[in-house]
Parts: sequence; structure tokens; C-alpha cells
Amino acid sequence: MAHMTNPLATVDQLYRRTSSYGALPSDLQDAIFFATQSLTQAAGLLLRLPQSVTAQASVVLTRYWLEDSLLANEFSDVSAASLFLVAKLGAHPCRPRDVCNVYAYLLSPASPLLRPKLSPSEPDPSSYYLSESAYAAFQARIMRLEARILYTLSFDTHVALPHSLAVTYLQALDFCGDSSRAKITRRVIAYLNSALLSPQMLYLTHQPNALAVAAIYSAARDPEISAKMPECPWWEVFDVDREELGFLVVGMRSLEGLVRKLQEDFNGFNKNGMITRDDINTEMIRRGLKITNGTNTGTGDMDEEELMMRSLDARAERMDE
Amino acid sequence: MASKSRWANTEEDAALDAKLKKEKEEKKRLKAEKAAKAEQERQRAAAEAARQRESQAQQQQQQQQQQQGEEAQNDRPPAKRRKITPEREDGGTENTKLLRFEAGGWAPSRSVENYDKLNDIEEGAYGWVARAKEIGTGKVVALKRLKIDNTELSQTGLPETGLREIQILKDCSHKNIVGLQEVVVGEDTSRIENIFLVLEFVEHDLKSILEDMPEPFLASEVKTLLLQLAGGVAYLHENWILHRDLKTSNLLLNNRGQLKIADFGMARYVGDPPPKLTQLVVTLWYRAPELLLGTKTYGAPIDMWSVGCIFGEILTREPLLPGKNEVDTLTRIFELCGIPTDESWPGFRRLPNARSLRLPPSKNVSASSTGSIIRAKFPLLTAAGSALLSGLLSLNPDTRPTAKEMLQHEYFRQDPKPKHEAMFPTFPSKAGQERRRRHDTPNAPGRGQAAALGAVDFSGIFAGREKEERGGGFSLRMV
Repeated sequence: MAHMTNPLATVDQLYRRTSSYGALPSDLQDAIFFATQSLTQAAGLLLRLPQSVTAQASVVLTRYWLEDSLLANEFSDVSAASLFLVAKLGAHPCRPRDVCNVYAYLLSPASPLLRPKLSPSEPDPSSYYLSESAYAAFQARIMRLEARILYTLSFDTHVALPHSLAVTYLQALDFCGDSSRAKITRRVIAYLNSALLSPQMLYLTHQPNALAVAAIYSAARDPEISAKMPECPWWEVFDVDREELGFLVVGMRSLEGLVRKLQEDFNGFNKNGMITRDDINTEMIRRGLKITNGTNTGTGDMDEEELMMRSLDARAERMDE
Repeated sequence: MASKSRWANTEEDAALDAKLKKEKEEKKRLKAEKAAKAEQERQRAAAEAARQRESQAQQQQQQQQQQQGEEAQNDRPPAKRRKITPEREDGGTENTKLLRFEAGGWAPSRSVENYDKLNDIEEGAYGWVARAKEIGTGKVVALKRLKIDNTELSQTGLPETGLREIQILKDCSHKNIVGLQEVVVGEDTSRIENIFLVLEFVEHDLKSILEDMPEPFLASEVKTLLLQLAGGVAYLHENWILHRDLKTSNLLLNNRGQLKIADFGMARYVGDPPPKLTQLVVTLWYRAPELLLGTKTYGAPIDMWSVGCIFGEILTREPLLPGKNEVDTLTRIFELCGIPTDESWPGFRRLPNARSLRLPPSKNVSASSTGSIIRAKFPLLTAAGSALLSGLLSLNPDTRPTAKEMLQHEYFRQDPKPKHEAMFPTFPSKAGQERRRRHDTPNAPGRGQAAALGAVDFSGIFAGREKEERGGGFSLRMV
């Protein structure tokens, strides 16, 4: 059964996320979540990791954030540490050096990630050059965070993904026969991967079988696919009830609207690349809210990190000019 | 809303649904009544107006009113039925039993301070193991500290072998696999450097028992041990786990005769087709020939080879193939199991290290002198027993039985039947009180480059056999 089930978030854990965590408004939490997961996906692609590894890293990251404070660490560090950890445990380990390089690039102004459009000029390689000391500092942070994530999850990194189940279900529904059906399969996988980015954390509240069924239902209902599904409540065959299916379908389809709304509400979102803790600070000040730092680790350590991030930012700006 | 149905079991769900339905019906009934009343009210008002105009029609009106009331009364039940029927068709989940998958949640690790150390058990290559007592419950457990290299920690983080072991043990639940209760960490959680596995405490390991016992296990006891070992291995392989370090010192035995597979430091999940795996696995003495010959793709049969080595060791109380190095081990294997041929192991010559092998030319030597001597080496074993052992120690990995096939083997059905676990003899536990002796078994290989065999000449290993004492065309089996 271990290959089909995941540990799920408790009501208490979910409640804590929305009610405490300092005074961080929930739309900022959503923005952080979406941006960080997008970063994880992008890094997975650049590191040539299979999607199964990247997806598991996303889920591990989400579980970690449900237990530990969002603002305790830089978001990109948490993303890098989860990806490094999951890759290491699987069949596709990646070297810390590669992870550092990829993240340095994705966080640099040269990267198109979370920016409106690519600048027409050739990207400047020096903007994502990583000095030896910056590399050492990054590596130290990743290693510390790796241990922190493991501790927070009590060393359970098991993630069952719905992707292969979905393909099996499609086969059971006779949807994989010929090549024209490839369209629906691709759409199903797309729904499952998009759900990883959703701040609703669907992978933490529902088992893989429910996610797979919801993705199939959504894909079949899409106007460009409009596949004919059985008339009967076929989802019950896969142990999903109507209520659960409905909830997930709404959740999976709401991501686009949610991101669009974030773009309107949050100044820096989707404009200047990956969100940092500084961006959140700025936004909080803009909104006239006071930030209560939800950190529980030593502050000395934090200052050092922030200083380094600032110096990196400053250097990036200088290079822009 | 969604969470409600997830946590509740289906019975409660059904009850809740029924209750909700009832409430809904009640509401609908009230609504219908209200509507009827309003209708009456309206009618009455209209009638009043009419009455003012036509007082003579009063009687008629009253009649009409009565009729209206009757109609409303008659109308009610059919209206109810009409409204509710489609809902029942929709919510057809009531009679369907849906499977619910429960897999717990997660929370930060507890502190090691929840345990009281009783005594050290072992300080081996994989770290330190102690017997301890959980303060809250008084339960005796084994605490195994994850060995962490400080330079490694800063370079590549926590060792993946340790993390894989934790993950695999967490996923496993089988009576022949050592149970992992939880993972605890040192008191200081700002830096996670002390990690302890809380394992079920098992009194003995098979290696120490074999070393200390004056008489070998009885045939029935051997079968019990092997059945349990095969059961555990079958469970692992069924769940896509390769142990990759099966040996007698990694097999634990409790005082109730139960065997438990332990030490999953080398274990990992595999798929089909198998991913690229390191050949640097399995302690030398238990390492399969295909690994020694440098294969890059291997699978469950490498564990079955180790099971074969353990089988032999349980019978004789001595390691079966205690090679000093890779070449020596391979020599011993060929001496015991014979020289591989293109018929017995198709394709073995294509393995990386096989190219440098110089095997005795098979056409010059008779088959009897290069074949397996397993039968002769274990004279007390029945034909079925030696067939199983020979099968497990087949040079060709594809012809080794799987763990599942092993469980069905004739050997276990023959007399003497496997002894019941509860009837197993007990032994004084070293782990319980005294410090355990250090073993002289070599350890599983570490990280690094696989040693190539180099050019090895095996042509001499059977040179002596031809000269052995032998009668004219008749040879006594050497016992």
C-alpha cells in the first residue's frame, strides 16, 4: 500500500498555517508558495531530473512548510534543499555544485523565471557567476536545511505520486488505445503537475487516487478535449466520492485565477523574478503592515544570510546598469 | 467540508448523510406547508375581496376553500416524492463501499532524551548500537546511531545510505524484518547532527549464535530459519527493495525463534527495468558472481545468492565462501559451483571483468571435474535440500529461484518438517547484558571505485582435482 498512499496533513496543521505564522496575510503566503514551487520545477528541469523527483521534492517542501515557519529561511534555499534531498535519496542524485549553479542562475536577472518577458539582449553570464565563498555559504545553508527538513518530517520522505495511477486509470477507462488519446493523457499529467504549484496543497490533503481521478475528470471536461466519459459515477470505481472529486476539480481549476489575482494585489509578484524575504518585507511595509518575524532560529545566523543576499542583490543591480 | 468525510469512517458517513437527508426533507416539508398556507392566505384574501363584491357567493366560496385545502393536503405527498427522487439517483454513494487509505501524518522527530540507555551492544562499521528503555512506556529498544562523517556532512549532507535505511524500514512492516519504531534526534534541534534509529530490540544475531553453539542447528531448525529468511526477502522483493547486504551478522534472532532481517544500509528501491546500480554492494563473502564479474545491471538474484551462502553457513557454522579478496572469492565460488560455461550461463563472457578471466579449457576436462561439488560438500542434506542450495548458488542469476519460489520448495515439505518458532531453543543473549564480541566478517564495500579484477588466471584451480585419489571408474563420495 505504501506505493499508493501518502501521509496527509491534519486539520490542526492546516488550521495553524492560516491562523498563525506571524501576521503574514494569506495571499502573500500563496505568492511565496506558488513562486517557490515554480522555482523548484524550473530547477528540476535545468538539473535534468525526472519529473517524479521534482514532484516529490515539491511535496516534501510543502510538508515541511506546514510544520515550520515560512519566513525561517530564504524560500529559494528551502526549494534547493528539498530538491537536493529527494534527488539524493532516489536514483538521480545531483551534486551540490550543480544545484548551486542552477539556483544561482534562476535567481539572477538573466533568468526568465517569474518575469514578464525575456529581455531581447543576450543574458550576461557574469550576473549568475557564483564566487567560491558564495558557493560555500550556499552549500552550508542547504546542508543545514536538509537536516532541518528531515527532522521536521521525522525523516519520512516517502511520497506516492498520482501520475502513474492516472495512467493506469486512463487505461482502465480505455483511454490509452490509440495515439489520438495521447492528448487527454498529456492534459491529465499537466493537471497533476499544476496542482503541485497550487497553494491549496492538494497533495497534502488528498490521496493519489483522488488526485488522479480529479485530473482525469478535469481533462475530460476541458473543451479542447471533451472526451466522452461513462455516464455512471465512474469515480467510485477508483474509491473517490463525488464530494471529494468536486472539491479537487474546483481546486485544480482555480490555480490560474488565483495567480492572476496575485499579480494584481502584490506589486513585486511575477515581475522581478523569484520572491525573496526582502520582497515580502517591502510588500508588508507598502501595505502598512508590521512584519513579525516568525523565525525561531538564531538571529545572528539570519543577519548573516540577509547581508549576503543584500550584497548579491546590490551586485546584480550594478550589473544591470 | 472535504475533510469531514475523509476522517470519518463510512458508517458514520452514511449515518451523517441519512441525518442530513432527513433534515432536508423536513425543511422541504415545512416549506411546502408554508407555500400551501400562503396560497390559502392569498385565496382567502381574494375571496374576501370577492365577498365584498358578491356576498351571495359566500357559500360557494367556502366550498371552494375547503376544496383548496383538500387539494393542498393531497398535493403534499406527491410533491415530496417528485423532489426527492432525482437526488437519490444523484447521490448514489450511500450503498457504495469506497476504500479509504489511511497513512498517518507527520510531525517533528522526538528527542533521544525520551530514552534511557541501558548498555552498549555493538560498535561496528555502521555506528553505535545500544540497548535502551523508553522512559514513558518502559519498552526495551535498540538505539542505533547514524554514523555521520563531519566533512561529508558539510560536503554532501546526511549520508544517503542512512537516510535510505530509515525510509525503507519506515515503509516495511513484516514479521521477519526488524521494526523501526521512530527516529529521534539529539536535544539540540538547531543543528541536526545526532540521529538515532529506535529499533525493536532483538536478543541475538545469527552470526554470534553460530559461532557459539556447540552443535549445529537441527534439520528442522534450519528449515524454520530459512523459511523466515525467504519470507522476509520475498516481502522485500515484492516491494521492490533489494537488501544488498544479506549475511548472518545482519540476521537477528529473538528468544521466540523469530528471525528478523536487519541493517538496510545498503538497501534501496529498484524499478523494472532496474536503474543503474553500483556494483560495490554486498559483503565480499556473500557477493554473487555476477557482481564480482562487474555487471552493471543486477536484481533480486544477488540477494538470493547471499541467501544461498547463508544456507551453507547455517549448516556448517562456518562461512561458505570466505574469500580474502575479489579474486580469491571468485576462485572459491568456481571451486564450489564449477566453472561457468556458455551453456550454464549464457552471456557471462560479456561481463566487464570476465574478459580477463582465463578459465580451464572445458573441452579438455571432463564435466565431472569442473562441475558443482555442492552435493558432496553437504552430505547430510537431502536431495531436495541440496537441489535448493545448488539452485540458490547457480552461477547464472537467471536460474536462481526467487524468494517466492523458494518458499514453495519441496525441501520445506519433506520430513523433518520445519520446527515451530515457539519450540526453538533459546540462547544466552549477549546483546542483553554483555558487550558483544567484534566480528571478523568483512564489511560491505564502501564508496569509491570498484576494483577491477585485472588479468586473473583461473586455469590452475582445478589442476589438482585430476590427481585426486580415485578408484578405477568408481569414486567414493568424500564426506
